[in-house]
Amino acid sequence: MGPGSGSAFLPASPRVSSGSRQALCLWLPTFELRLELVRSPALDSTSLALLSSGESTRRTIWQVSERAHEAGVRPGQLVSQAVSLCPSLTLLEPDPAHYDAAVESMLELLSEITPILEPAGRGRVFLGMDGLGRLFGSPERQAKKTLHSLFRIFPAPLVAATRAGFAPGKFGAWVAAASARSGEPVVVGDSDLARFLAGCPVSALPVDPLIVQRLERLGVQTLGELRRFPEPSLISQFGDEGRSALAWATGRRIDPVRPWHRPEPIRVSLDFPNPVGITETLHGALDRLIERALSRPTRQGRSVTGARMGAQLEGGGSWFVQTVLREPTAQRERIASPLRMKMAIAPPPKAVDTLIVEFTQFGAASAQTGLFDRRDESGRAAAGRELTRGEVPPSLRDAVKELKLRLGHSPLYRVVEVDPWSRIPERRHALLSFDP
Amino acid sequence: MSDTPWLRPLGQPKLVVVRTVENGGPTHVRLPGKPARTVEALRESWRIDDEWWRQPISREYHIVVLDDGRNLTLYHDLLDGTWYAQRG
Repeated sequence: MGPGSGSAFLPASPRVSSGSRQALCLWLPTFELRLELVRSPALDSTSLALLSSGESTRRTIWQVSERAHEAGVRPGQLVSQAVSLCPSLTLLEPDPAHYDAAVESMLELLSEITPILEPAGRGRVFLGMDGLGRLFGSPERQAKKTLHSLFRIFPAPLVAATRAGFAPGKFGAWVAAASARSGEPVVVGDSDLARFLAGCPVSALPVDPLIVQRLERLGVQTLGELRRFPEPSLISQFGDEGRSALAWATGRRIDPVRPWHRPEPIRVSLDFPNPVGITETLHGALDRLIERALSRPTRQGRSVTGARMGAQLEGGGSWFVQTVLREPTAQRERIASPLRMKMAIAPPPKAVDTLIVEFTQFGAASAQTGLFDRRDESGRAAAGRELTRGEVPPSLRDAVKELKLRLGHSPLYRVVEVDPWSRIPERRHALLSFDP
Repeated sequence: MSDTPWLRPLGQPKLVVVRTVENGGPTHVRLPGKPARTVEALRESWRIDDEWWRQPISREYHIVVLDDGRNLTLYHDLLDGTWYAQRG
């Protein structure tokens, strides 16, 4: 079965209390490769493979076309192995910006059908369909209408290759989609779910692949065969995943579709007059872009917890690295440093035409630094200008005045260096009373 | 309160009670108002001898790991034999 990543079935954030029990899963296998074929139809008659992104040396195959598959080329093979198996193989660099744009437009379109959307990777999305019967009719009609709506953004071959499954819960919908034929949705009702799941292979379970391998070695091929085992023996063999596997196999566990929340990213870009391949130039440009993104009004009052750095490459194609920051921050260096490190590990494969920085996740503004901000937040006294070194911001001056009125003295102190290189620790720093 | 700003050193040493082995290494430490803790490991030791021309300073520093997992910097004042804990 396809790319059954388990993450889609992990429990959602406890903050999200509601979800949709009835789920529609749309799945487009080898989504990225099909997008490349749509972009360059001439490649359809060739043996085609998409390279994995990431490693700069020892590149591997990510996705393969049917012709390449027939020649023995498989995902995960080294390029040298693949070319020796299929000398006429056409290799393509991945273009993540193009794929992400296609996903964005698909999600935007599907949000017209239901507000409850939960993407699970690029080629797979779950739609919450609770309460849509009176609008669109039976589950079959709902699934067909959803598939049909894709014609507005995708060409016919892409829509025709999309599989759809409608069932209670995400697991049921995913298994239904995986067993569906292109363009013909599989609909499973509440009463049929257990019977439908019984015939499905254990490889559909979103559990550790090693568990699936062990089950298959033990002769357990289908979910129906798995059900014969008592729960305690599955738990003793596979731990908590054994319990989850049984709950999915029997249809007892129904994972609702949770509405997906993604804040509007802040995106800034820089076009180079000539393609750039020098790392230092890219680092300088990265710093300038982060500064620009941080100064955007939409960023004010929020810190950054996730960022992406990307590029449009010379001669087509794109490249991306992303990072999740350990702590929310609004400091340029703290954002730039992990991105530079990722770039060192997986540098752009070609010279860069346009460099892009995106802030994708946000945290709360830091309240701790507010008092000592060197900008006047009210904008009345200093009108937002940078204060010179040693100048005390009016917000801080007012706060100290108020504390002195209440306590009779200023309880604020400043840490000053006295003899920072002294061998005697108590000589290095001191507290100085702060009373502007 | 006077208008003159005043300076208070940071990292002032605190008097502690230390039990040692024969060679002088700490084995137990009792911080003021706390129960005694066993020293699980001695991470680093060094010695400072300074300012002999005015008020001589002679200290033997140890960074120890206590049985509750905490790291603590101790020093033995070699002039009067007392032990102190200090933030470095």
